[in-house]
Amino acid sequence: MHNGILYLAGQGLKDMMLPIIGSELIVNLIMTLICIVIIFLLVAVSALVFTYGERRICALIQVRIGPNRVGPQGLLQSTADMLKLLTKEDIIPVGIDRWMWVLSPILIFIPSAMIYALFPFDDGVIFADVNIGLFLLLAISSQSVLPFLMGGYASNSKYSMLGGMRTVAQMLAYEVPMVISLLGIVMITGSLKMSAIVEAQSNVWFIFLQPLAFLIYMTTALVESNRPPFNIVEGESEIIAGPFTEYTGMRWALFFLAEFANLLSIGILTSVLFLGGWQGPDFLPTQLWFWIKAFFMVIVYQWIGWTFPRLRIDTMLNFGWKVLLPLALINLLLTGIGIYVVNAL
Amino acid sequence: MAQTEKFVLNMGPQHPSTHGVLQVQVELDGENIAGAKPVMGYLHRGIEKLMESKTYAQCVPLTDKLDYVSAMNNNLGFCLAVEKLAGIEVPERAQFIRVICAELNRIASHHVFIGSLTNDLGSATGMIYAFRDREKILDLFNIICGARMSCHYPRIGGVAADAQEEFFKLTQEFIDYVPQMLDEYDKLFAGNEIFQARMKNTSIISRKDALRFGMSGPNLRASGVEYDIRKIDKYSSYDKFDFDIPVGTTGDNWDRYMVRINEIKESAKIIQQAMDNMPDGPFMAKVPKMFKPPKGEAYHRVENTRGELGFYIVSDGTTKPYRVHIRRPSFINLQALDHMCKGMLLADAVTAFATIDPLMGEVDC
Amino acid sequence: MGIYFDLKYFQQLQTEFPSVEFDAEEKEPKLYVSADELLPLMHRLKENSIWAFDRMANITAVDYKEYIEMVYILYSRRFDMWLTVKVKLPEEDTKVQSMTQVWPGTEFEEREIYDLMGVDFINHPDMRRILMPDDYPAHPLRKDFVPLQPKIQGGVLTWHKQKSSS
Repeated sequence: MHNGILYLAGQGLKDMMLPIIGSELIVNLIMTLICIVIIFLLVAVSALVFTYGERRICALIQVRIGPNRVGPQGLLQSTADMLKLLTKEDIIPVGIDRWMWVLSPILIFIPSAMIYALFPFDDGVIFADVNIGLFLLLAISSQSVLPFLMGGYASNSKYSMLGGMRTVAQMLAYEVPMVISLLGIVMITGSLKMSAIVEAQSNVWFIFLQPLAFLIYMTTALVESNRPPFNIVEGESEIIAGPFTEYTGMRWALFFLAEFANLLSIGILTSVLFLGGWQGPDFLPTQLWFWIKAFFMVIVYQWIGWTFPRLRIDTMLNFGWKVLLPLALINLLLTGIGIYVVNAL
Repeated sequence: MAQTEKFVLNMGPQHPSTHGVLQVQVELDGENIAGAKPVMGYLHRGIEKLMESKTYAQCVPLTDKLDYVSAMNNNLGFCLAVEKLAGIEVPERAQFIRVICAELNRIASHHVFIGSLTNDLGSATGMIYAFRDREKILDLFNIICGARMSCHYPRIGGVAADAQEEFFKLTQEFIDYVPQMLDEYDKLFAGNEIFQARMKNTSIISRKDALRFGMSGPNLRASGVEYDIRKIDKYSSYDKFDFDIPVGTTGDNWDRYMVRINEIKESAKIIQQAMDNMPDGPFMAKVPKMFKPPKGEAYHRVENTRGELGFYIVSDGTTKPYRVHIRRPSFINLQALDHMCKGMLLADAVTAFATIDPLMGEVDC
Repeated sequence: MGIYFDLKYFQQLQTEFPSVEFDAEEKEPKLYVSADELLPLMHRLKENSIWAFDRMANITAVDYKEYIEMVYILYSRRFDMWLTVKVKLPEEDTKVQSMTQVWPGTEFEEREIYDLMGVDFINHPDMRRILMPDDYPAHPLRKDFVPLQPKIQGGVLTWHKQKSSS
């Protein structure tokens, strides 16, 4: 029934192992482990690629050249940076809440990596195709607010505290319109399953059915992943990286890694929810379509980020509660009417 | 019962948006600012004291280090004060070249303003664009005097060397580029919704307050006071050029930005006129090697890029000044900081630091 | 460059403030006044509409070894007029009324003069050092100033007189 490259490869591996090991349970266990390794590799590698990509794209927008010294065309720059971060001194400030402070960078990485389990990468390739997929995805991704708050609180620094407080305020203001804007998709699909959402777009992508929801989702996704112009949590020029202020070396790199994992995941999510996921014309394999769309969206998000100045917190909260939320509700109403009319015809 | 209390946040001296080593003790009530106290002195080098032990000619390079992004204007101010003290007539060609350099420097300084402002607003892109264009002016300075920032080009009695054809040609190219440059800035910043939301109606200084704080320069003009030393004192043949004084209306951050953008236009106009009417003749007046101005005192002020820069020089008839006092515009403008920040949000404080445009080299002297 | 304060006004002021002195021979005479009469004189200069000196263009102090001279350069925007007012303060009693009572914008400049020249300003809202460290023992712009050597003793920064090397 499925014919994606990844699916066939996985199935082939399974068929190969089954006669050797014998027990189907153990084979499935091994497959799950392989999946976990793949997800973590994906996140780590994407962060490496993205640091380089982001810096080159940012340089392009800012009439600069960007990293071009380490390796051919500067391709090894992010590897060099990673090595540098690994070898940096691990400074632990005095007066911090030690446990919370240490846990925060680790915890922040978990939700960012966990949601990758719910992405339909290819036809039939989804690590956990649960029937509350979209709901679970939103629930997990909103967990990233806690580590931010923990880091901000535990650092015992005023800048970090302000940053941590800002996270909570902005999450509250933007989680609600995001969820409501995505309800339209769920109504049309009739399912929360991620694979079902992709398959429902085989004829027409949701960006055409739900243009308003697409715009609302794009905005809230930028907020969710702390991208500029909504990066008030970090706010380099005001509160100097907020919750990350007191972190150095590898601990800081974990925050950084999570940020890039988030960027990729909002790119993937936008393409899955609105651009038809892995589906596309037959001249390219489905797997390629998936990545083309995801990376296109990532570039769009970066482009937005490098063009606009940062919003002020009150403007931003007002925008979330007073503009996006009513718009999302209107979108919901319109979708309901639309479905009713289509069904009646 | 929930209890709230105010806390003091030390912004700076190590902070990315306090423009050098300004320290501001911001009293915060949540995100709202209840007060902002500037703390200065981290860059205090005692230039006034240093000048007492140097000859007049040796003092000129020290003024480079006051407001290091508009060195030409500082040199000009000091030289004019000494010339006033000694009664030296500067040849007209030198005056015109000085005007061209001062106005180019004004544009370059406003580039730094635009760059640091947009960077503080969270758009690093803006900074790179402004600094890209500033680079063109620094290259012009490189041609005319061999230095890019600390120029030391205006000297007592004239300028260090005559300006060559190449300099005029390249300056003309830059002047032709200015409208295109400003157009790009308008599209990138002024036309941006978020930029406007951050700038308009924030940190308002009324006309009355601006005068009360003794402010000067673009910050004062943004509050609607038409006060420009170039027009009033007409020093260095500024009366021969036709230019307007851009003024604001409300005195908010947006006005302070727009006044500077318009000043760039006016500066370009002045440079164009100066180049078109460039007289021939010597570039240096006859100044003795052992320069000893007569006993006495003189005060001369110029319109620096940040406001009214005054030099008060007391001479005791020897080769070295007895006392030099510098009226630094940034230093006096900073008095308005508390007023600007009160009742605003933390993010506005950063914008206020940027639009008041203090330069710590000048504030701390 | 503007005009200088007219000679006839000097005489007018002299009748009102007996301590006012000036050198009538000079082209642009400086107005000398005693420290006691400075504040009412300045109020008069600012608020009288014939002069309307609304800007304190420059305020500084010069150390002439026997006495410290306060120099106030006033500017009137309306009439484009200048006036230099001077006050001589004896070395042992360097106290003068703060001009923040007339021009509030002189706050930082007076703090600077206090810091570098050691002139005390009466009725100043915030009389602290502004550029030098808070506990610095000397006033650097005085002519008899000798640079002090910083030294950390028991975690506390102190300053000591340099041994004369030159």
